[in-house]
Amino acid sequence: MDFIAPLIFVILAAIVVAGGLAVVLLPRITGSALSMGLSFLGMAGLFALLGAETIAFFQVLIYVGAITVLILYGVMLTGVAPAGADRRLFFQKQAGWALVPLKFVGVVATVFALSFQSNVVQQPGGDLEPLANAVFRDYAFPFEVASVLLLAAMIGAIALVKRGDD
Amino acid sequence: MSPPGVLVPGPFGIDPLVWVVLRLLIAVLLVVGLIFNGALLQILMERKLQAWAQDRVGPYHVGPWGLLQTFADALKLIGKEDVRSRFTDAAFFLTAPAITFTPMVAAWVVIPFAPGVQGIDINIGLLYLSSLGAMGVLGIVIAGWASNNKYSLIGGLRSAGQLISYEVPQILSLVTVVLLAGSLQLTKIATAQPGLQLNLFILPAAFLTYFIAALAETNRTPFDLPEAESELVAGYLTEYSGMRWGTFLALTEYGNVTIVSSIMTTLWLGGWNGPLVDQAPILGVLWFTLKVYVIIVAFMWIRLTLPRFRIDQLMNFCWKVLIPLTLTNLFVTATLKVALPAPWDLIAIGILNWGLVAAFIVLIPRLQRRRLERLRERLRTERERTLAPTA
Amino acid sequence: MLSVPLGWFIAVSSALFFIGAAGVLVRRNAVVILMCVELMLNAANLALVAFSRRLSDATPRGSVFVIFTFVIAAAEVAVGLAIVLAAYRNQPTVEVDEIHELKG
Repeated sequence: MDFIAPLIFVILAAIVVAGGLAVVLLPRITGSALSMGLSFLGMAGLFALLGAETIAFFQVLIYVGAITVLILYGVMLTGVAPAGADRRLFFQKQAGWALVPLKFVGVVATVFALSFQSNVVQQPGGDLEPLANAVFRDYAFPFEVASVLLLAAMIGAIALVKRGDD
Repeated sequence: MSPPGVLVPGPFGIDPLVWVVLRLLIAVLLVVGLIFNGALLQILMERKLQAWAQDRVGPYHVGPWGLLQTFADALKLIGKEDVRSRFTDAAFFLTAPAITFTPMVAAWVVIPFAPGVQGIDINIGLLYLSSLGAMGVLGIVIAGWASNNKYSLIGGLRSAGQLISYEVPQILSLVTVVLLAGSLQLTKIATAQPGLQLNLFILPAAFLTYFIAALAETNRTPFDLPEAESELVAGYLTEYSGMRWGTFLALTEYGNVTIVSSIMTTLWLGGWNGPLVDQAPILGVLWFTLKVYVIIVAFMWIRLTLPRFRIDQLMNFCWKVLIPLTLTNLFVTATLKVALPAPWDLIAIGILNWGLVAAFIVLIPRLQRRRLERLRERLRTERERTLAPTA
Repeated sequence: MLSVPLGWFIAVSSALFFIGAAGVLVRRNAVVILMCVELMLNAANLALVAFSRRLSDATPRGSVFVIFTFVIAAAEVAVGLAIVLAAYRNQPTVEVDEIHELKG
């Protein structure tokens, strides 16, 4: 049974990273949006593998079900640019120069992270109850503040896109 | 976390290892059979019911009383040529039906048909069902976009707005039930309603709001704007034909209807509970199916009765009526649950919920009528003002 | 019980974070930039959950933080898309370097 978890991990990690790369590299914006949804799904799988099932399903509910659809909605409302329209500055000079140290740091960070050897500890019984206790007891006030933030974002979004005449 | 109960001895002394495989096989066959046959049966039911309601005969050519009509339809759909316009976006166009179909199949894993007759009894079953329900939207939006057709695009956009909006009252109504049961586990919610102490009698307002939101989530008639025939040809389905169309419309739509009906059965109608279940647990499947089909017939009845909403009415109804109603219900239920001791909280919540239902039934038509009158009044004064100089 | 080392999760997280950062730099489409920001937030979530499981407190602080990140991400997408739509209405383009009305 010892090879199953690493195998699942490798598959999910491949989905997440490939999805992320596709978001950046695909010329068509709808392709980017869909691969972002795929990456989010893989990430939900990784959460479930870590034993955080509740977080995993919230991930699916919020990221795949709401954010990806919202972004697709935005894509359709702003009109789909013809394929390749994004090419002109696809690897623009300044960004290229900025990317060199960024890639270096990224590779170093990834290699460094791989050297962590301790295994993940699993608690029995799922993460629903500890999570609920933490959010609604210890972190009740931040939770309420977060809800105010959401309300503010909703009102802000409506105010930004509302036309003057209706 | 190892899945609970992977290696358990089966009934009739079946070896645990054999039972694992056998159980999987039975479950897969059951789900496939339920989805395909359920869709066939429900389409036939719907056509027969429509025919009776409209004083027609309905399908009667194939088989006795037209019983085999939908099988013939399915054979026709499978045999059809897979036509695709040259201007569609091939990859997305072809995967879109699968994107909506897969979450629907996955949702069957947690449906509790009877004690023990369930794929897996996870403690966050309701969250699982909600998140899968949210995933189906993606396929519809993609289908609308990839068809490269204005009607399809409008259908997809409408669908995205509608489904995201109606998810809010849907999940808020579920939360009300979860508050009362104290669990997200579907079996626990079902067993928390012994005998006639059904959530339907305690939380009718939550049932009403969930029922309406479920109609919208499954694109059933008063809310079938994404595929409105009279304005959008067939919405996001316009460019689809053959079995792709069949997967989208027949399998996914009717499968989703069955799943929301199962959720309603488990949460409000006591799931598998019924006479004689304690003696023979397998009878639970019968009661569960009967309750599910009662709700499905109610869905069809509504389709026969109500005309379609306009898109602005749809959004107004969700944001100005349903969401305030569910929020009030949630607030009242939570407060009473904390404030009152054990038997009295249920009674108080029940009374207030019935009050909310009565307010909904009495107030909504009255508000609508008043708004209509105000609109007519404004139109009349405007016409008089514009007509005055010419006279 | 789980035989995947913590480092692997952190490695995936860091890889995804830098992919997202690179995407923000090289793409010009405002909507794609929003998506890349979402990827970076998601990478941070993975690191938070992984470390939270490693510490295995009674309260999963990392997971609580992830819940707040979900809220931030939803608010960010809503407001971000609203800004993109408002800018698009003003000048029909979503390419960030073509929106230069104030440049004079």
